[in-house]
Amino acid sequence: MFSNMIIGRYMPGDSWIHRLDARTKLVLSIAFIFVVFFANNVIGYALAGAFTLLAIMMTGLGVGVFLRGLRPLVLLMLITTLLQLFFVQTGDVLVHWAFIKITTDGVINSVIVFVRFMLIIMFSTILTLTTQPLAVADGMESLLKPFKKFGLPVSELALMLSIALRFVPTLMDEAQSIMNAQRARGVRFNEGSLMARIKSFVPLLIPLFVNAIKRAIELGDAMEARGYRGGDQRTKYRVLTWHTRDTIAIIGFVIFTVALIATRWIM
Amino acid sequence: MVMAINFDQVGFTYQPNTPFATPGLHDVSFEIPEGKFTAVIGHTGSGKSTMVQHLDGLVLPTTGKVTMGNQVVTAETKLKELNEMRAHIGLVFQFPEAQLFEQTVLKDVMFGPKNFGASEEDAQAAAEAALKKVAISPDLYERSPFELSGGQMRRVAIAGVIAMAPDLLILDEPTAGLDPQGQRELMTLFTDLQKERQITVVLITHQMEYVAQYADHVVVFEHGTVVKSGAPATIFADEEWLHEKQLDVPAAKQFADALAEKGIQLHNVLDIDQLADQLAARLNGEVDHV
Ligand SMILES: Nc1ncnc2c1ncn2[C@@H]1O[C@H](COP(=O)(O)OP(=O)(O)O)[C@@H](O)[C@H]1O
Ligand SMILES: [Mg+2]
Repeated sequence: MFSNMIIGRYMPGDSWIHRLDARTKLVLSIAFIFVVFFANNVIGYALAGAFTLLAIMMTGLGVGVFLRGLRPLVLLMLITTLLQLFFVQTGDVLVHWAFIKITTDGVINSVIVFVRFMLIIMFSTILTLTTQPLAVADGMESLLKPFKKFGLPVSELALMLSIALRFVPTLMDEAQSIMNAQRARGVRFNEGSLMARIKSFVPLLIPLFVNAIKRAIELGDAMEARGYRGGDQRTKYRVLTWHTRDTIAIIGFVIFTVALIATRWIM
Repeated sequence: MVMAINFDQVGFTYQPNTPFATPGLHDVSFEIPEGKFTAVIGHTGSGKSTMVQHLDGLVLPTTGKVTMGNQVVTAETKLKELNEMRAHIGLVFQFPEAQLFEQTVLKDVMFGPKNFGASEEDAQAAAEAALKKVAISPDLYERSPFELSGGQMRRVAIAGVIAMAPDLLILDEPTAGLDPQGQRELMTLFTDLQKERQITVVLITHQMEYVAQYADHVVVFEHGTVVKSGAPATIFADEEWLHEKQLDVPAAKQFADALAEKGIQLHNVLDIDQLADQLAARLNGEVDHV
């Protein structure tokens, strides 16, 4: 079901975007979520769309990968969009049937929400598709460093994040193989009543949790055996380095932001 | 139930039509003789486990067809249709102890038979018989499977499959990671079961000694396809070819070959018994001459 999903997955490559520092990509992805809201007319959205498309093309992974990968999310987006359709009641009435009233403002709002949602997801997907999960964790640690002063356990949080990210694929594989083993023993997943479906997941979830806990304990032992100690004295094997291309990317993004703000006065 | 198995030009791709598509199998054609012991060998990643999932209807071939008895499985087959077929097939996965989940050992072994429609009493009888076969003593029946040792967990998991009384028993590297004694015991159990119940057994293994000793038929996988199949003697005849495929030659045959280099020719040596018999015959012969 989720085999098409590209959200949260990394695809190796050697594009300019792949080689950008994880911090750059993190900051820009977060900034984009806010910057998109500057668009308030067709030209603004066209500009944001063109910018996203440019970034996607620069990943060298192909636009098709993004479109196919996001297809499973379209349903979710459509539901959100439809809610807008029913809850915005201002503007000219287009359809009025029983308690359902659809207005022009509702339609416009739906389209805007859909486009915004789409752009933000596309842009964040660029980050996850082109950045190794561990680099994302390192990048976050580096960005959160200032908060250490306020007692935030930044290194520990980053370690937890990187371990979690590291084990996501392992757990997925394990879930798949346990599921197969139980199907071979006659469990029918996704068949029958809701109660039967919920019950069918017990033979999957118990071994999955037991193994995950066992693995966590083993990992903890292994780290302790090798003398792991958290804290400030730790150095990194992968050192994040800032390159000219990161500066260029930031400048490019700032130019895009300024242009986007400018479109507000065009129409 | 008849269970002649045939693979006809089977191809399988993991996550097809995505950027993550990985080829699993291609152009796989071979047969598994009914009521026989078939060994499947090949390098890690050669597609053995992928093939095995087709045997239990857990995945559908992307191309080609698999025939099992009178059930034909192709890309168009509905997975639900195969639930019925699965009742006759036992599949022991690699590291099957990961499938244990019930509160007690006995309940876990009863899980399979009950899913396939056995009554509580029948399931319990089947479970107790299976646990006896794998040498798990009755005082462990009410224990949690998670309290057992690794070797015991493996046995309980295998019992959980045997208890389903399958006509086709598939074993994916069932002895990996066990001590030699445990490995021998399990292998003896599998061959005894096969003979006793006249079932079809498919065993994936890296241990050529077992292949030489127990298998009636051997299928060799490489890079996602079958490169050779036949009787063990045929497969092990061409040593150079085996080395090329990074497969071992059974120790007894290595021994006989080393003797041949020194001028002592033995014939048809595959397992330790054949080697011992022929050596004994030779030695007796020489003793007689003196
Ligand atoms: N769940 C999976 N997703 C994607 N690729 C897989 C998966 N399982 C196996 N493969 C790939 O399929 C090929 C055959 O693997 P497998 O059948 O497990 O080999 P074997 O059992 O002979 O070691 C390998 O290249 C492997 O990487
Ligand atoms: Mg395997």
